[in-house]
Amino acid sequence: MSEGNGVRIDMRDYIEENFLYLYPGIALKDEDDFLTLGIVDSLGFVELVGEVQSRYGIPVEDIEITEENFGSIAAIERYVERKRTAA
Amino acid sequence: MNARTLGEDLRAAARRTPERDAVVCRDRTLSYGELDRLADGFAAGLGELGVGRGDRVAIVLPNGVETAIAIYGALRAGAAFSPLNATVKPEKLAHVLADSGAAAVVCDATRSDVVRSAVSMVGDVSVITDVSQAIREPGRTVAPVSVDLASVIYTSGSTGEPKGVTLTHANMTFAADSIIEYLGMQESDTILCALPLSFDYGLYQLLMSMRVGATLVLETGFAFPGRIVQLLESRQVTGFPAVPTLFQVLLGLRGLADRQFPTLRFLTNTAAVLPAPTIEAIRKTFPNARLFSMYGLTECKRATYLPPEQLDVRPTSVGVPIPGTEAWIEDEEQNVLGPGEVGELMIRGAHVMQGYWNDPALTAQRLRPGRWAWERVLATGDLFRADEEGYLYFVGRRDDLIKSGGEKVVPREIEDVLHAAPGVREAAVVGAVDGLLGQAVHAHVALEPDAEVDEAALRIYCGQRLEDFKVPRRVFVHDELPRTNNGKIDKKLLAGFDPRVEVVGTD
Repeated sequence: MSEGNGVRIDMRDYIEENFLYLYPGIALKDEDDFLTLGIVDSLGFVELVGEVQSRYGIPVEDIEITEENFGSIAAIERYVERKRTAA
Repeated sequence: MNARTLGEDLRAAARRTPERDAVVCRDRTLSYGELDRLADGFAAGLGELGVGRGDRVAIVLPNGVETAIAIYGALRAGAAFSPLNATVKPEKLAHVLADSGAAAVVCDATRSDVVRSAVSMVGDVSVITDVSQAIREPGRTVAPVSVDLASVIYTSGSTGEPKGVTLTHANMTFAADSIIEYLGMQESDTILCALPLSFDYGLYQLLMSMRVGATLVLETGFAFPGRIVQLLESRQVTGFPAVPTLFQVLLGLRGLADRQFPTLRFLTNTAAVLPAPTIEAIRKTFPNARLFSMYGLTECKRATYLPPEQLDVRPTSVGVPIPGTEAWIEDEEQNVLGPGEVGELMIRGAHVMQGYWNDPALTAQRLRPGRWAWERVLATGDLFRADEEGYLYFVGRRDDLIKSGGEKVVPREIEDVLHAAPGVREAAVVGAVDGLLGQAVHAHVALEPDAEVDEAALRIYCGQRLEDFKVPRRVFVHDELPRTNNGKIDKKLLAGFDPRVEVVGTD
């Protein structure tokens, strides 16, 4: 679905612009874990969650901020898709 | 009878409640019996490498059950441990290994390249890259006594080079027991610790939990606050230590206010005073929890705490000396100051460190002659005042140290890195007011005439040389750095610099 690809592309752009540029050696794959790679720190996630909320108009609930939902580009895509389907 | 050393308390708890959960992290749980045996096994593994009584063992691990095994294993081997930030870079680690004369360094596979690179600069240091692979059949070890060295904790000194704070078992068990006393910590507690064990605030959650026989639930940082909320509920957490940034992140979550945390009975805060609206929000969200405002420094672990019932009376106070200790305020001629007068906070008690490892000059600056010929009291380097009833208030630092997200950052260290960066003529690092971090690390630089670096390049440069929390969140490029009348870089002006208002460095 084109929407899904959109999320993936949006998020990759966002991550590259805001976090990845600091780590020139890292080639990020969609399933790669941000935290394990060390490219997004605690405060980075606050910004990332804020970005997903405002960009997609999704009210992110407290317990949803986990690696299952925000840990990688693919995880965010799955999360956004699920929330859109539920809405 | 309280255990005199940090290894004995774990042993005692393992005898009392061998089945009780000691340390939990993600899908790993160690009971007291298991942790006790694994610590002995790791001590034996260290022994096989020739590590023994009085040696130093550096530990470079994120929060996890292995970190607990490594710490107690090192202690059981009679060694002292140095906990280090898991994002430490090779040059810094090499400095610490050389300075402490570490016999071994413990890490995991993720950090093995960094560690090996550091070790290659230093030489003869054993490397353990997998705690579970280093467990051996426990043998006989010589137990340390309370005056033996337990830990050398590296903290940023005012020059930027990290300094090793030397603490004996007696120092650490005293500090732990004093804090346990005022918090009312007990065996039935479950503590959730998202603070790194490399940070003494996080480390003591482990030490105190093991001392009382409580359960410690570890989380690796607070990147995923949803995990923290889930754990608070599912593990029926009773105690939760945090810093202002962590409280702010949690309180900003949607849905949190509607939850109940009936088991949570105490919250602690340190590193910076909580703003009044945050205190109010914390109380609304966690109505059953007592909130402790505290102040301390690695050199004595914890200096003061505010009894929770005083929070409404004096919300900005960090309270009174911790049980069994004394504190007072002095001017520069060592005169004790009265209420309302601002001076340096001095600390006296069995929690005060033995000194800085290998640095008698710096030790003499901070440890001053005390009441008795053998005694030394700690000069905190922090400016305080007291109210009429003797409650203490933090006023400011004597130096320009930055507190960002609960971490101590010394501008000089980052400035040294920036000065070495190609194209940088001058650099000044300041703490800018930040809603989430308290202070954010901002760098201001002036460049060489034809320099081809920008903000991104300089952040990358710093990121390759400094721990993550020290990397400037912003780097501002100026034509010239502003100066005060006597020619020094005007850091006050830079700290308040607003990039939207072009007032600095333009003509």
